[in-house]
Amino acid sequence: MSLKKYISIFKISFAQEFAYRINFIMWRVRNVIQIILLFFLWTTVFSDPSKVIFGYDRTKILTYVFGILVVKAIVLSARAVDVAGEISRGDVSNLLLKPVNFFKYWLTRDLSSKALNFIFSAFEIVILFLILKPEIYLQTNLFLLVGFFLSLIFAILAFFALLMITSFVPFWAPELGWGVQFLVIVIFTDFLSGGLFPLDILPSFIQKFLYLTPFPYLIFFPIQVYLGKITGTVLLGGLLISLFWIFVLWIAMGWIWRRGLLIYRAEGR
Amino acid sequence: MIKTLGRYLKVWWLMSRNSFMGMISQRLGASIFLTGKLLRIGFFLAFIYLLLKGTGTLAGYNLNQTIFFFLTFNLVDIIAQFLFREVYRFRPLIISGSFDLVMTKPISPLFRSLMGGADIYDLITIPPLIVAIYLVGRSLGPSPTHVLFYVLLLINGLALATAFHIAVISMGIITLEIDHTIMIYRDITNLGRFPVDIYKQPFQGILTYLIPVGIMITLPAKALMGLVSPLGVLLSFIVGTAAVLVSIRLWNFALTKYTSASS
Repeated sequence: MSLKKYISIFKISFAQEFAYRINFIMWRVRNVIQIILLFFLWTTVFSDPSKVIFGYDRTKILTYVFGILVVKAIVLSARAVDVAGEISRGDVSNLLLKPVNFFKYWLTRDLSSKALNFIFSAFEIVILFLILKPEIYLQTNLFLLVGFFLSLIFAILAFFALLMITSFVPFWAPELGWGVQFLVIVIFTDFLSGGLFPLDILPSFIQKFLYLTPFPYLIFFPIQVYLGKITGTVLLGGLLISLFWIFVLWIAMGWIWRRGLLIYRAEGR
Repeated sequence: MIKTLGRYLKVWWLMSRNSFMGMISQRLGASIFLTGKLLRIGFFLAFIYLLLKGTGTLAGYNLNQTIFFFLTFNLVDIIAQFLFREVYRFRPLIISGSFDLVMTKPISPLFRSLMGGADIYDLITIPPLIVAIYLVGRSLGPSPTHVLFYVLLLINGLALATAFHIAVISMGIITLEIDHTIMIYRDITNLGRFPVDIYKQPFQGILTYLIPVGIMITLPAKALMGLVSPLGVLLSFIVGTAAVLVSIRLWNFALTKYTSASS
């Protein structure tokens, strides 16, 4: 019964995305434009195919660029971005009255959004591949592919908690929701997770510091595993750190949620 | 003419003052937003520095030149956002039918829709950006003629940005879609963060002539480096003027499609 409920939420949320087709298509167009910039930037840098810079050759850096498109679609696309607005408008009361778990509801909606974004990103890659004809690195090592998929699942769970924690700010300051989300989700996540450039071009002391935060494990780490640049014990260590962050972020998310509900007054309803 | 201009300047000042006061009432939220914007510029500058440290040049341009392209992009982008922030609030006016109230006022609805809410937080970032452009630009050793070309092409770039914004709100009236259209405009202009020379044909041609991001951002920076001839400046102005004229015609056409629905 419980699973059926969430399957229905998944289907409804999936259908809702199609209700605003132009919105969705425009969102995907925006992602493609960003990838075009990165593609040409790195193609210019690696105009000589045999050149190796920052430990990457042309094939691997272009695979990284295309990897960003797919990993972002899977990890960063989320309907839970609406939670902050729902709290500040008092609309979250509607969900609290329903016989659904708040977190399972939003995670299900996120998964629905990720599924749709992933399908579209796959089409986009085919189209971009036909137009740009990039050299792409195909990973065939089964162990690394399993590591890649595991790191993606961990990234989804970590990002969900990070987004939720950010979205709970309006419990205390309703007018700050959008600003905090812009700072943490748009700026920090995009730059510090490797959404614009691979983090290993940074000086090593900054890299060491970043690896202590959850951000690199959202985009950079999964792509590195796919490229075979992270293997063996380093891969297992990275997965364990991801698990640690999931644990910390989920504990924090539950704690902040309970504290927020204590002061929630459904203002605006 | 001068009297009308004075009246519009006064109206703009009043609207901007109201907008500033509204923004200042949400100081903390806006400060976080401003911090985010500054961090984005900082992160990008760090990326350019690290990239050029590893490669030496990008499409033949050295570190200072590449940074100068990026700063010029930011100047055009931020001035356009400062002046035309009201475009981002245009959709509710159309879908609620409240645009009727704008149409009945004794000022141009285009002027009100474009410039009705200047953004003080963008204004704050303009002076330090100009200082940075001055310092980096000076290191490139331009002649007075090249500086003049740079300023002229910057004005032309802003005219093109104006044309884009007019086109976006016109499309907003026709399609009721504006939020994503303006963001797509932003994403396309973001392609000008780096010189358009990095793009291969036909993308470079499209970005230079069809969606003139190159003329808007890359060309002014190239002019300061002495890479643009007087004929190039003249042709750019022809493109800029044509874009503004076409966008105004599009606006006039869009007004005939406004249905005043929901009002």
